[in-house]
Amino acid sequence: MPDWNQAIRERLRGLNLDPARESEIVEELSQHLGDRYAEMIARGVAQNQSFRSVMDELQESGLLEGLRNARQPAAREPLGLGATSGTGALGGVGHDLKVALRNLRINPAFSLTVVLMLALGVAGATAIFSIFNGLFLRPLPFPAPDRLVDLNEAAPKWNLTQVSVSNPDYMAWTKGNASFDGMAFFSGGGANLSDGAGLARRIQTAAVTHQLLDVLGLKPALGRNFFPEEDRPGGAKVVLLAYDLWRSLFHGDPNISGRIVKLDEQPYTVIGVLPREAVLPPEAEAWLPLAADPNQGGSYYLDGIGRLKRGVSIEQAKADLMRVHKGMIRSLKAEVNELTFPTVIPLRDRYLGDFKTVTHILLGAVGVVLLIACVNIAGLMMVRGEARSREIAIRAAVGASRVRIVRQLLTESLLLAALGGAVGVLAGKACLAGMVSLMPDSIPHWIAFGWDARFAVFSILTTGAAALVFGLAPALQAAAVDALSCLQEASRSSMSRARHRILSGLVVCEIALACILLVCSGLLIQAFRTVLRVDPGIRPDHVLTWRLDLPEAKYPKPEQQLAAYRDLVGRLKALPGVTDVSAAHLVPMAGGHEGNFFIAEGAPPLGPNEQNPVILTVVALPGYFETMGMTLLKGRWFTDQDVAAHAPRVAIVNETFARRFWPGQNPVGKRIRYASDQPTPWFQVTGLARDNRHYGLDAPVRPEVFLPFTVAPRVGLAMVLRSSVDPGGLVAPVRETIRRMDPGLAMFQVRAMTEWMNRSLWTRRAFSWLIGAFAAVAILLALAGIYGVVSFAVSRRTREIGIRIALGARPGDVMIRVLAGGMVLVALGLAVGVAASLAVANVLESMLFGVSGRDLATYLAVAALVACVGALANSIPARRAAAVDPIQALRVE
Amino acid sequence: MPPDAVDRDLKKGSGELLILSLLEARPRHGYEISKLIESRSNGAVSFRVASLYPLLYRLEARGLIQGRWVEKAGLRRRRYYRLTSAGKKVLAARRAGWEAFVEAIRRITGDEYA
Repeated sequence: MPDWNQAIRERLRGLNLDPARESEIVEELSQHLGDRYAEMIARGVAQNQSFRSVMDELQESGLLEGLRNARQPAAREPLGLGATSGTGALGGVGHDLKVALRNLRINPAFSLTVVLMLALGVAGATAIFSIFNGLFLRPLPFPAPDRLVDLNEAAPKWNLTQVSVSNPDYMAWTKGNASFDGMAFFSGGGANLSDGAGLARRIQTAAVTHQLLDVLGLKPALGRNFFPEEDRPGGAKVVLLAYDLWRSLFHGDPNISGRIVKLDEQPYTVIGVLPREAVLPPEAEAWLPLAADPNQGGSYYLDGIGRLKRGVSIEQAKADLMRVHKGMIRSLKAEVNELTFPTVIPLRDRYLGDFKTVTHILLGAVGVVLLIACVNIAGLMMVRGEARSREIAIRAAVGASRVRIVRQLLTESLLLAALGGAVGVLAGKACLAGMVSLMPDSIPHWIAFGWDARFAVFSILTTGAAALVFGLAPALQAAAVDALSCLQEASRSSMSRARHRILSGLVVCEIALACILLVCSGLLIQAFRTVLRVDPGIRPDHVLTWRLDLPEAKYPKPEQQLAAYRDLVGRLKALPGVTDVSAAHLVPMAGGHEGNFFIAEGAPPLGPNEQNPVILTVVALPGYFETMGMTLLKGRWFTDQDVAAHAPRVAIVNETFARRFWPGQNPVGKRIRYASDQPTPWFQVTGLARDNRHYGLDAPVRPEVFLPFTVAPRVGLAMVLRSSVDPGGLVAPVRETIRRMDPGLAMFQVRAMTEWMNRSLWTRRAFSWLIGAFAAVAILLALAGIYGVVSFAVSRRTREIGIRIALGARPGDVMIRVLAGGMVLVALGLAVGVAASLAVANVLESMLFGVSGRDLATYLAVAALVACVGALANSIPARRAAAVDPIQALRVE
Repeated sequence: MPPDAVDRDLKKGSGELLILSLLEARPRHGYEISKLIESRSNGAVSFRVASLYPLLYRLEARGLIQGRWVEKAGLRRRRYYRLTSAGKKVLAARRAGWEAFVEAIRRITGDEYA
């Protein structure tokens, strides 16, 4: 017999095996070859032929490689069926992708559902988040905006939180503080801008201290900033133009500096153009130096912005200003300072409103929608994994390694996540564009609703992670070498039960989450409807309003101003379609306020802790009440006699005023006067007006006094025009009429009264709308979730259902059984959701405008909606169950 | 079916199952395993040195089988392989998977019940 040992040693030389191991292998293979040789000889094969045949077997390819790899068993297990052996770690990626695509195509309904679910989650959450981000989170467009604060004064005794700042206070603060890098103050105004050629345009102006641009951290886009000497009484008349005004009116003229423009007939030199980021003071189209007189102390009219020194907290800054402020009281420079004290709040809170509650609720809603999307995807992936556990087991059985299977499923999940993410981004952008077009146009103009890419990435990652984790779970179970029992029929169905329990839990969760959002949305809609039903105290339809400021240079005396307004009223009344015209210096819901303190004759004295309320004071022309559609409860409105020279001083009060000062009495004939230490002349009350919602439909009504023009003349008034036709169509003839009367006058803030009313509600509208959108997305997702899980349960029970039908169960009974099973989940989710909603509704309380957080109608409606949606989602699989053919069903397994 | 008609990959994937099955009843040595596979498949499947031993060593490294030199009087010592308890579990799984696979193939290829 040949010596095989030598041949085998030759063959294995390249392997560099451990000598002991090598001799073992040599011995074993040598016996094998020896046996083979002996067998062939025994069968009668010739010796040399047998030898050659055995040597051939030894020389076969694969031996060396096989032996080499046998030492690293885990790394190179056989590939799954149909797999081509890739080389290296990345070799199989292309193949994985191909298989993944094929698998997704095999089950298009599943793939489509997952992609849609991902897309819906990503699109909904990101679009809504982008809106929310634009409204509430995006930083103000200034460098280091978190160091910018709003400076103001509060007067608790006057019941006012923001009384504005006076000249002596701002000067003392600026000089004495130790915690600010800079402070600036401004006061808004308006002016008729003309360029000498007679072209008039009304612009919003702001008188600002020269530090404002520096405090905001901005540089002029063109030209220079104000010099400090220009910001003193008698300083040069100079102006900085806002970027948009410069572009639109001066066509972006690069040589604008040095040009003379007229503001209210006064020549001003343009010294530069503001950068686009100069969005504060709000709406200002031109900045003028404030040039405040330090000796004029009485009036509180300035808004302030401060830039905190690095590392200084708002509390420290407040304490610092308080120190300065108290110092002024001690030096007796300003007695009134005992009543007021400085306030410091983040700039964002002042200009974007106090949206803390709203912010938290909306953020919560974004989270809930994403969570539901994740839960849904998790459920779907589990269903999918369950359905594929057999396939996975087969792959494992025929030698595919765990790593290999995990990699394959990972590729599929990633592919789904990528597809869903891509569709979601596209859909979200479209969705955002749609939502922005529905937003009111009254939001602060610098807010841009950009697509928030970071959040899109975040939501794709979140939902994608859900897909991956839950996509892999079955792979890890099924492919685990030790958890092999998954292939055994008995334990497999118990595995299904466990998994089905998890799935059912997920569905209950998402129904509960959707329920919370639906309840919130329902409550807010109820609140919104309640607000809309509030009687505004005026008849806003068919009323057009606009403002008009008479230049004092041309109309210096109050009589001239009154004459001009009455002339205009007369001309406008002659226009076809116009039924009434008048004016007042503030109109309801347009955001204006003027407050004064009054003494009411015969009113009960103030209690020790009682505060004299600030009275909203409105100056009106005769006819204003009738034009605005207010209701007279007692007495009479103003007449032409009330604005005649030397007419008796009269006033009209509202219900709240009468209730506050003369409870249970008729105010007509009683007297009021301005509160002052010096005696001021009395006004006799001639009329009692029904309350109007001056501060907005959802804001409280304050005591209000109307005074005739002659006792409190104003150069600027809001004109009010009532028409029998659409007031929008009257803007052009009105403008023409004004131009004919005085070409130097410009009408501005031209709006229908209904528009003012809508604008006053935009926050509430936007907020309710957003929560509604969230709720819609949530219930859609929940619908898909219920459908998925119940369908899955039915498909797993096909055999059982088949047996039941074979044993005589009627399809109707089967359907009811399946429906009932699904509806139990819905009912559970509903119960959890309602309980959670009751807690969440407490947070909403402040937004609910009197609607109870336990509003039964809302809860019933939500329950009904969820039940309907649940029934709908259950009915399809239930029908399918009823239609099971027992013969087919029994064959399936 | 001629031997070379059996797909290489299929054989590679199923080899593990075959070996584990053969070791279920009792420990066997390499040559015996290769002979059994060949004879029971009527020659359709054959494992020769180059494929059999690497697979055996790999199964051994994974703890599914265990090899031991056994000396019998008057004979050369031989290396016998026996199924470990881990191997028994894997065998159960592989067998069930295989049956499912075969059943699936059967259904696809349309081999209906009589």
